Amino acid sequence: MLSLGAQEIPLLEGETVLEGLERSGVDVASGCRAGTCCKCMLRADSPPPESQSTLRPTLRAQGYFLACQARPEGRLTLHSAEAPTPVDTRVEEIEHVAEGVARILLRPSTPFPFRPGQYLDVLHPDGHARSYSIASLPSDGVLELHVREIPNGRVSGWLHGRVQGDDVRIRGAFGQCFHVADDPRKKLLLVGAGTGLAPLLGIARDALSQGHAGPIDLIHGGLEPGRLYLREELSRLAEQAPQLRIHHCVLRRATQHEHEGQLDELAVRLAGPLASVRAFLCGDGEIVHKLRRKLFLAGMPSAEILADPFLPAPA
Amino acid sequence: MSLYARLGGEPAFQTAVDIFYRRMLSDDRVARFFDDVDMEGQIAKQKAFLTFVTGGPAEYTGQDMRAAHAELVKLGIADEHVDVVIEHLGAVLTELGADAKDVGEVAALAESVRDQVLGR
Repeated sequence: MLSLGAQEIPLLEGETVLEGLERSGVDVASGCRAGTCCKCMLRADSPPPESQSTLRPTLRAQGYFLACQARPEGRLTLHSAEAPTPVDTRVEEIEHVAEGVARILLRPSTPFPFRPGQYLDVLHPDGHARSYSIASLPSDGVLELHVREIPNGRVSGWLHGRVQGDDVRIRGAFGQCFHVADDPRKKLLLVGAGTGLAPLLGIARDALSQGHAGPIDLIHGGLEPGRLYLREELSRLAEQAPQLRIHHCVLRRATQHEHEGQLDELAVRLAGPLASVRAFLCGDGEIVHKLRRKLFLAGMPSAEILADPFLPAPA
Repeated sequence: MSLYARLGGEPAFQTAVDIFYRRMLSDDRVARFFDDVDMEGQIAKQKAFLTFVTGGPAEYTGQDMRAAHAELVKLGIADEHVDVVIEHLGAVLTELGADAKDVGEVAALAESVRDQVLGR
């Protein structure tokens, strides 16, 4: 039996979810019908494991499955694909942590489920929306965002002008860049540039709080040393967790505390053997593109490279 | 039994597509065509392509091939680049355990979409 909103769709003996939906006249995309093309991917509470086996661990963790491969026993409740409802939050704290970068803590007025490292949309009162990654954990009770002020940026400029107690409306959470505790001994490689640190901080804290025992290398890159922020907080985190190593990387003017060079080249050098590593890459699109290619060519399996590149706002 | 199934099916091809794409990105004769390509999407497409040419469960039409390569035709892909793809395809399948006869059959199938790829 399938549940889809108010609709109840009984499945025939041996029928897949895809076949059942089609028989009932539900408009559902499909392609190869053999578990390869992923066009029929849907989301549900606890789908049959065999319908998830070829998907990435982050998709599996969110209940995605292939309808053409699913023959559920009992009831399967499908999620509809509508956009999440906006949530009101209040600015709890705003702090300027580096040139042009603010760390903003928002307290949601209603529950806001997310996984650290995912992103949310900030909804400007004039209707514009921009995405920001979440650096905090659900147990913190606040949503931590790192916002770089973009010249003439509608939403970033507005956010930088917020003060404690102001209202900020958000929606989410979105994205595939988060920790899945499927192998507590796996080595995790977290690489980000600029405010790409935000999701990495969330992912690192999340992995540690879930008892991750394998090594975690967090590599933060910036133009020059003054652009690297939250360094004390990262050091404190590493003191509490011996498996966590923090590496600071800059393009120029490195001191004894930073590595100097291209972030993708440094990442490969600092990471060591890559065959059984999971990587999380965050930052602007071009940097993530270069990192992904470099790590892949150095031997990392493509399925273990997770990234939500920061894309420029639509013109 | 299809070559796809004999070579180990989906798990084997997840690894194979990585090997295939790595070879293409590392080959100066074709690497430039992938400079601005989204790697994640490209790997998914190449996996479907490898699955298709080895008789596995994948939907792939000449029209898909034509549309997918239209931009590359503008950048100048030509017969010699298709040859490189077929060469790497053969090498990867051999690495997975395919014999010369299998590789020949796959090459012939890949050959059959050459005109679509090149927009002819």
